[in-house]
Order: sequence, then C-alpha cells, then structure tokens
Amino acid sequence: MADASTLVPLTVAVPLITAALLAAVSRWIPRRGPDLAALAAAVAVTVMSVALVVATRDTPIVYWFGGWHPVRGVALGIDFVVEPAGASLAALSGVIAVASLVFSWRYFEEVGHLYHTLVLTLLAGMVGFSLSGDLFNIFVWLELMSVAAYALCGYQIHQSGVVQGALTFAVLNTIGTLTLLMGIALVYGRTGALNLAQIGESLHGHPPGGPVIVAFTLITAGLLVKAGAVPFHFWLADAYTVVPAPVGALFAGVMSDLAYHTFARVYWDGFSDALAAHRDAVRDALLVLAVASILVGAVMALLEAELKRQVAFATVANGGLVLAGIALLTPRGLGGATMLVVVDGLLKAALFLLIAAIIQWLDGGDELLLHGRGRRRGGVLPGVLLAACGLGFALVPPFGPFLGTALAVDAAGRPWLTAVAACGAAATGAVFLRAAARIFLGWGPREDPAITREPTESREGEPEFQPNDDWKRVGHRIIMLAPPTVLVIAGYVLSLVPGVADWFTSVAHGITTPHRTAEYVLSGHLPPLPPLPHSHGHYAPGGSAWACAAGSLIGSVLLAAASLWWQRLGRVVRRVLLVPVAALKSVHDGAVGDYTLWFATGVAALGAVWTLTLR
Amino acid sequence: MIDVVQIVVLTFVALLGVAVVACRDTLRQVMVNGMFGLSLVVLFTVFEAPDVAISMAVVSNVAYPMLLLATIYRTRGRGADERERE
Amino acid sequence: MSRRRLRLLLFVPVAAVLAGVLMWGLVGLPSFGSPPHAYAAYLLKHEVGQRHVTNIPSAIVFDYRGWDTLGEELILFTSVMGTALLLRRGREDTGERPRDKAASAAVRHAGAFLVPVVLLLGIWTVSYGYLTPGGGFQGGLICSGAALFLWIAGSYRLHRGLTPTPLVDAAEGSGAAAYIATGLAALAAGQAFLAGFLPSGTVGSLLSGGTIALLNWATGLEVAAAGVLIFHEFLEEYIQTVPNPSPRQEER
Repeated sequence: MADASTLVPLTVAVPLITAALLAAVSRWIPRRGPDLAALAAAVAVTVMSVALVVATRDTPIVYWFGGWHPVRGVALGIDFVVEPAGASLAALSGVIAVASLVFSWRYFEEVGHLYHTLVLTLLAGMVGFSLSGDLFNIFVWLELMSVAAYALCGYQIHQSGVVQGALTFAVLNTIGTLTLLMGIALVYGRTGALNLAQIGESLHGHPPGGPVIVAFTLITAGLLVKAGAVPFHFWLADAYTVVPAPVGALFAGVMSDLAYHTFARVYWDGFSDALAAHRDAVRDALLVLAVASILVGAVMALLEAELKRQVAFATVANGGLVLAGIALLTPRGLGGATMLVVVDGLLKAALFLLIAAIIQWLDGGDELLLHGRGRRRGGVLPGVLLAACGLGFALVPPFGPFLGTALAVDAAGRPWLTAVAACGAAATGAVFLRAAARIFLGWGPREDPAITREPTESREGEPEFQPNDDWKRVGHRIIMLAPPTVLVIAGYVLSLVPGVADWFTSVAHGITTPHRTAEYVLSGHLPPLPPLPHSHGHYAPGGSAWACAAGSLIGSVLLAAASLWWQRLGRVVRRVLLVPVAALKSVHDGAVGDYTLWFATGVAALGAVWTLTLR
Repeated sequence: MIDVVQIVVLTFVALLGVAVVACRDTLRQVMVNGMFGLSLVVLFTVFEAPDVAISMAVVSNVAYPMLLLATIYRTRGRGADERERE
Repeated sequence: MSRRRLRLLLFVPVAAVLAGVLMWGLVGLPSFGSPPHAYAAYLLKHEVGQRHVTNIPSAIVFDYRGWDTLGEELILFTSVMGTALLLRRGREDTGERPRDKAASAAVRHAGAFLVPVVLLLGIWTVSYGYLTPGGGFQGGLICSGAALFLWIAGSYRLHRGLTPTPLVDAAEGSGAAAYIATGLAALAAGQAFLAGFLPSGTVGSLLSGGTIALLNWATGLEVAAAGVLIFHEFLEEYIQTVPNPSPRQEER
C-alpha cells in the first residue's frame, strides 16, 4: 500500500479532483481559496513526480489501472509505464505549473476559479501524456491538455487578436490530434492492440506493411503538430503571442516539447522493431524536419520584434534540436534530447514569466517599442535574467543547454549537424541578447524595417493594468521576479549535478531497449539491462561539442551586434536582405487555410517518402 | 461479408458527408449536418454498435444543432449591428 | 485571386498524394468481418463472468478502460469550463432576461408532454446502461436535452429558473469528482486505482456491476450537468440577439 506505485495514479487524480471540487464549491469559498488549492495540488504533483523519479531509478514502475494485468500477452486495461525520463518531465510540468500559479497570484486583476480549474486540468493532461503506456490513453491526455490550452489561450477574449490566435491554435491542433487518432485507428485495426508494448510485440518479426507505415506517418505528424516542428509549427507563434504569460510559460516550457518525448516513446515501444530494417530512412526524414525546424525557427526568431513571438520561434528552433537528438536513434542522442527538453523548458518558462513582468513594468512587449526604457532603477535583475536566458540558449559551457546539445552532437558525429546546431543556438541566443541590449542598455536604433510587424495591440493576451503602479512595491516585484529567477537558476544549476549527462543517457538507454520494457509490461518479468554500447565511463564533451559551443557563443554575440546595427550597411545590402526576409515572413501570415495547407503538404511529403522507403 | 444494407448506408453517409461540405449557407448546413448525423446513427445501428448510435443520435440532432444555431444567430446579429452602425 | 489559385494549385497534388497514402494504408488492413482480435475474443468469453455486466461496452468503458473514461469525462468538464471562461468574459452584462414564449400552441403542448418523457428516457438510459445499450454518457445527454425542451416549449425564464446555475455547476463538479473519488476509494481499499472493489451482484439485475454502476451514475450526473451548462452559455449568447424585453415573436 505504501509503496511508490500508489503515487502513479495520484499524480493525475489529485489535480483533476481538485479541479472538479473547485468547480463544485467555487461559490462558497473565499477569494484566495482557488489560488491556494491549485497551488497545493501543483506542489503535490511536483513532489510525487520527484519521488517517482527516485523510485524508478533502477526498475520502471508499471501500473495497471483497475488492476487488470495482461493475460497471455494481451493487455486488458490501461497502464502507465513510469521511467525516470517520463517522471522527470512530469516533475518539470509540476515545477512550471507552481511557478506559473505563484506568478498569477498577482498577475490578473480578477481571476475566478475557472482559470485555476483549467491550469490544473492542463497539468494533469501533461502528466498523463508523459507517463501513459497506452496509445489511446496518450490521445486522451493529449486531448485533455489541448482543450484546456485552447480555453486558456483565449483568456483575454475581448481583444480581437486573441480570438484570431486562439482560433488558429485550436483549428491546427484539432487537425493534428485527429491525424493522430487516425493513425491510432490504423494501428488498432492492424494489431488489435492499443498498449504500446503489445503493439511492439505483435509487429515484431513481420515486414511493416501499408497500415503500419501509414499509421506511423500519421502518428508522427499528429505529435509533431503539438511539438511545433516545421512545417507543422505555424500555429505556435500566433498562439504564443496571445496567450497570457503565466500560461505561456506552461506552453513554451513543457507542452510543446512533451510531444517530442512522447513521440520517442511511441517510436521505440511501438514501431522500432517493425521498422528496424529501415532505421536510416526513419532517421533521415526526421533529421530533415529537425534541421528545417532549427533553421526556420532561428531565422524567424531573429526577425521578430515582439518578445513573445521570439520565444515562440526559439521554441521551434530548440525543438528542432530535440528532434535531431531523437532522430539519431541512439541512447546518447535521446539522452541529450531529454536533457534539452528539461533545461530549455526551465529557461523558456522563465523567459515567458520574465516577459510578463517586463510587459507589466514597462507597458509593452515589443523590443523596438521598449528601446532604452529599461534603463532605470530595478532594471538590473530583469536585464540580467534576459541576458542569462540568451547566453543559456547560446550554449555557454558548462551549463544546461550546452551539456544536452553536447550529448546530441557528440552522438551524431556529423560535422554538418554540429554546424547546424551551432547556427541555431547562435541565433536563438542572439535574439535575447539583442533584446536585452536594446531594452536595458538602449543600444541600436529605435526602428528596424526587418523586424517590425504590422501594428497590433501591443499587449495582446495580457490583462489590463496601470503600468508602473504596483511595480514600486517591493513585495510585488519579488512575487513577479522570484519565479523566473528560480527557474533560470534551476536551468543553469541542473547541469552541475555530477553525472547528470550519464544519468540522462542511461535513462534514454532504458527507453531504447523496448523489448525489455515490453516483457516487463506484458509478463511482469524484467530482464537485465544490456550494457550501453560504446560507453567509456563518464561522459565528457568531445571535440564537436566544444566546437559547437565556441561557434555558437561567438556567433551569437556577432549576430546580436549585426542585427542591432545592420542598417549601417549600404543601401544595396539592405535591399538584398529585406527581400528574403519579407518572403519568409509572408509565409507566416496567420491565415488558417494556408497553415492547413502547409500541414497537408508536410503529411503528404512524409507519407510519400516513408511509403517509398520503408517497405 | 458485407451485405446490401451496409452498402446502402455507407453510400448515404458518403453522399451526405459531401453534401455538408458542399453546402454554402450556414443555416442550411445545420439541417444537412443533422441528416448526416442521422445517417451515421443508422450506420452504427447496422454495424451493431447501438451504444455509439444512441450517443450520436443525441449529439448530432439535439446538442450540436442547438450550439450551431445559437452561434449563427449570435454572429449574424453582431455582424448586422456593426453594419448598421457603419 | 492569385493567392487563392496558388493555394488550389498546391492543394490538388497534395490531396492526391495524401489520398493515395491513406488508401494504401487502409487496403492493407484485415478485411471486414474477419475473426475478432485477441482482446475482443477474451472479453466475449470472460467479461460476464468477471464483471457480471451484460452490456460489454459498458464494462469496457467503466472498468477495463475506466481510466480512459475518466480522462474523457474530464475533457467534457474542461470544455464546459473553457466555454464558460471564454463566453462569460466576452459578454457584456445582459441585464433583464427577455419574456419570450413559444409561439405556437402545438409546440407548447407537445413540448410540455415531451419534457417529462425525455427526462424519464434519459434516466432510464443511464440506469440500464450496464444491462442494455446506453449508459451515463448517452443518458446524461438525453437528460440535458429535456432541459433544452423547457426552453423550446416554455420560455427562457422557465429554462433558467428550473436549472439554477449554482446547482448545475455544483452537480457538474461533483459528478466529475465522484468518478475520481470512486477510483480513490479502490486505492483506499488496498486495490489498484479504479479497481472493482465492490461486490459485483447478480448478472442481469440493476444491482450488478459494483463500481461500474457507481461510475455510470457519476458520469450521468456530470454529462447531464455539462450539457445543461453548455446550453446555458450558448442560449445566453442567442438571447442577446433577441430584442429585449419584447417577446421573441408576436403571438397572433
């Protein structure tokens, strides 16, 4: 009874029952009641998830809901397979939810119980999504978190831009989840199983065949929509622009990248055996998407003046790096990817909360608009935090993003991938260095034709408030800046824990040995873990990792400077630069129809390539 | 293993599904969509899934049209107001 | 014009490729009517013996895969919360409710007759959900349909008056909470979350199923309340288009 497996259902049930009870009794509890209850539930989820990380360090926990254990290899019920990676992502969701709830304490003028209810269901959905071992159950949690996210995204519904952004988000994500559902239906039709372990076992030893390949394509596309990989990323910038910042921290910090991790689990548990003969084809297609995400995300982030849109495209670029790590299909690559999800997640969440604080303090979220406005008392900490996030993304060693990226590029051993990763990191770092320099130091010009967007409401998605009003109170400043500070420090310090890279690699090794997990899930017997191939004791970043970091650090400083002062170049250069910029921006035009077309093109291309190469 | 009734029902579902998309007027679309829903109810019954058929009957012919109609009236009303003001 | 053409030009080949890929996937599936998968075969053979419930889909929904249903119920719950959040925030204060009234006597009388019938049908569908086709979701929705008939046959005031929002809010939350609480009770009884820890009763009677019956009723309550709340929100939107406070339609 008191063993750790009891915690497994509670990680999802506690936030959900809190949400349900809040809705039931909201009329009769005091104003701060929902705040406290939601915060307590989020803290509970965090603590339980951390306990699960510790408890599963040697053997994963398989939890069968309703006590329905499999009979002769047939799963009757639904299981959660809790391994350290999934549990740490659940913990990450919990941590960011806590930070976001603390931040919301002072952020919204009037916030009823509905907001807290939705944040809690979003959290429960994310936890379930990262732990579930059943394909349909994964869809259920994905849908739960999506529904909560649509509503939260439209929180400031009376602003016209918000309706547009939230609608784009809802339409594109619904298309994505339906695509996923179609894939699940095909798998079920072919194997009669929804349990990932059982799917993997029943596909074992057969040539994959049409349904499996098409299902894998649809599932990949469906999950990549949520994750925001190019060309499925279009909704991301529009949604992030209009989402209220505390919720944005949850979107950017966890929600998007969780889909990458779930994709990795679905691939290894369900499909890796069936597609074993075609690993190269799977890897190459995913690498193409990853590289496209890194480059498009990085360039677009540089071309935005609005801080929230910058985070959105930085998320696309970082996600590309995560996908690249997964696409290598090696334990070390996946370990690096998982580490990146955690560390980048903390930094991006911090960034979003920081932006919210800046918006509230300086009355705007556009770096050109805010030019030099941060040069006053109280501007040091926000400026330092913003620059710290930028440096983190630019892979300053030996901190978090560096170590994760190092694992991935060392595992790849491909110089061109190292170069791409360095470019992406340099650009995402440069964006926030540039923003920090412009806002808090007043560097660079006030106007820049390359990065302005057609005028919109400058604070889309954020509540109305009197600027500067509360900011003078120290208590208010602390409650607004403490969560991002803690998150940035956590993101930086995590990589200083000794052996953390090896830990992530060994965790990933567990995921990349699906037979072992499947046997444990279906028969309860856990075979010993085979030793990690090519393992030479402790991991230390190799040559390509250092080259990548050096390149990206130097590159980000140069890029930041170049993008601040590029207009001093001659008129011809300016014209030449502005043409492709305009073209790339016009692709991200906010029209749902166009985005859907891009999605269809992506699925068709992926499907065509894989039907030709995987059979 | 597929018999005539099933083929007829499947054909109806396919035709009505296309009809919903082809319909341009939103009010008319609500009606056609209701008929499409009914054809699905018959489909689920014929394919021996009565539980799903009951859900579909209530959702597609009571709840969903209600939401659609309210939305259509609301948005048309608002649009008309703005046009008058201009 | 040019943009639209470009879109079409791209879409046609893309759609063709997509259709081809999908067809290729579908063609490879086992043919229609082939023998059931291992899971279906197992349930057909053992379900009634294990769970004492004659409607196998209900046993799957509320027991074998009850965890999915918990998630789905919470999706409905979340959608209602989200709808309320979005519509309530976007709405100006309505002030007085209109004194609308159903226009035709035929609608009024037929409706007055139908309200109790539909309500009864809903409750019946819930209560026999684990014996015959039906269940909490279907029955709950039918019950919420009865509330809608109050408006169609009576008036908006009658509809809102007989379904007071605080009560329905509370019912929705408690329905969802009761489902989760049943799962927690199994945990407290020393079994797995959502395990059937209650006696299963006699096959074919209303007292069969144990936790299945409880979960079924919890779902029925939640779904009925969720339906009514969604109708509230959307009707409130519709009502704003009705001239206020004059009647919906002149009576002749």
